[in-house]
Amino acid sequence: MNGPGTNSTAPAPPLLKVESVSKSFGGIHALRGVSFEVREGDIHAVIGPNGAGKTTLFNVITGAYNPERGMVAFEGREVQGGKIHQAASRGIARTFQNVELFGSMSVLENVLVGGHVRTKCGFPGAIFRWPWVRKEEREAVARAMELLEFAGIADIAGNRSADLPFGWQRFVEIARALASQPRLLLLDEPAAGLNGAETQRLGELMRSIRDRGITLLLVEHDMNLTMEISDRLLVLNQGAKLAEGTPREIQANEAVMEAYLGRE
Amino acid sequence: MRRIVFLIVILAVGLAVDNPYRLQLLTIVGVNTMLTLGLNMLMGYAGQISLGHAAFYGIGAYTTAILTTHAQWPPLLALPAAVLLTAVVALVVGFPTLKLTGYYLGMGTLGFGMIVYILLREWSAVTGGASGLVGIPPLAVGGFTIRPGRDYFYLVWLMVMLLFIICERVVDSRVGRALRAIHDSEKAAAAMGIDTIRAKVSVFVLSAVFAALAGFLYAHLISFISPGSFDFMMSIRLVTMVVIGGMASIWGAVLGAFILTLLPEWLHVFADYEVIIYGSILMTVMIFLPQGLTRGVLDIYERSRHKFNSARSAASQG
Repeated sequence: MNGPGTNSTAPAPPLLKVESVSKSFGGIHALRGVSFEVREGDIHAVIGPNGAGKTTLFNVITGAYNPERGMVAFEGREVQGGKIHQAASRGIARTFQNVELFGSMSVLENVLVGGHVRTKCGFPGAIFRWPWVRKEEREAVARAMELLEFAGIADIAGNRSADLPFGWQRFVEIARALASQPRLLLLDEPAAGLNGAETQRLGELMRSIRDRGITLLLVEHDMNLTMEISDRLLVLNQGAKLAEGTPREIQANEAVMEAYLGRE
Repeated sequence: MRRIVFLIVILAVGLAVDNPYRLQLLTIVGVNTMLTLGLNMLMGYAGQISLGHAAFYGIGAYTTAILTTHAQWPPLLALPAAVLLTAVVALVVGFPTLKLTGYYLGMGTLGFGMIVYILLREWSAVTGGASGLVGIPPLAVGGFTIRPGRDYFYLVWLMVMLLFIICERVVDSRVGRALRAIHDSEKAAAAMGIDTIRAKVSVFVLSAVFAALAGFLYAHLISFISPGSFDFMMSIRLVTMVVIGGMASIWGAVLGAFILTLLPEWLHVFADYEVIIYGSILMTVMIFLPQGLTRGVLDIYERSRHKFNSARSAASQG
């Protein structure tokens, strides 16, 4: 945002800062000293061949894994080593590579669970249904419906989520993640298993999510989509950072071409 | 609407049944329904198995029995003590146990049930050992005594109804959705910000409190308790009731309690083969109606209606 013409004194601090993070499983180094920053309002992609450490990186950011070394800071505060369920209330939401919906529940209920950290009702509230609980529930349903509308799936709100075709499930999962009102949304291979039309819709949805002021960090294999919508890219190879930059810079990067696209 | 029907049925049954033995049997069905309602919240909705649920039932029953006989407490004072003690035990046991999953959780709760049973049987000075405790006073509220019979039947079934409403409300709420989410995908539930351990322990305590209430009512109904009513077989019976009725179905819990409480009465001759019969029922249901009787029968109904409708539309087109 701040071009050379503006006279801001300091650059805005990054929303997410990952500093020399290392994580290994047994003898395998899944991440070796990876550092990068995600600026607020960007669509930031992480690419790399299979086994490059992309999903491990996601799991470190959400707190599912505790890195051996290094630091993860979200909004300027260190978050590594926390509990997994704390990420959502901090403002980090995620989707999963293989879609992890609550299959026995309706689409609407899935999105309502997504809003768990933005609501308060506990067991006493559920049993006595105080007026504030009813109000909270009404508002949560209204917000959830608004999100389903936003994701273009409002007409399937009442369907059991496990019965939906895979592509729709992915959109439900994104709507569910948005229900926690995140500042950073992590998408783990969102285009995997989608057809061409769905991938295009996904791209449009990601842009409109960004337009809502939510920063996106995605792992993706679909090169067309990634190059088209990302502001910045991070390239991982064998657990280490290979390159970082705009799509154009990455496409021009010799090392990336060799390691990732496999040039002779 | 359904609640009013439920209430009318309770009233009508209470008026229609005169035989004291049958009234007591139906009262025990009510006690067992309270147990299954609680266990169903834990197993059916949150997806956490407990093979030691009879222990909480026993702790509730023994606490009130000991306090009202040895210590001469009025039952109304013993009730909060029984509920509180059971809740504390559930909390202490729940935290380490509910970190386990699958078979390990089954083994953990099984072990807990065994420990409580052995304690009840061997701690003779307090629990009366294998011969149990006798002379538990009937329930008295003010100067009014609720004697086993019609009054007690109504008391128990009104409690069932109260717990039923609590279950319905919890299931259809933020906490209920969190429990079902844990059942479906614990990984995703945690990513949504649900503190899964805390949620599981909470529902564990809730189901234990239901069991303590049932134990309290059972002790003052029968006026005599012994460890045999709270053994491993009772835990299995409760699990069977939940599974047969249909997990994650509140009405299923009621149905399961009904069938498995009345079945042994109808099948007196098979008393020695109880375990075999339960096992066969459990296997048959799991193989043919894995969703339980309520859901299973509903599914069959829907399927046949669907078939009928499509056959009819095909006929009208042809």
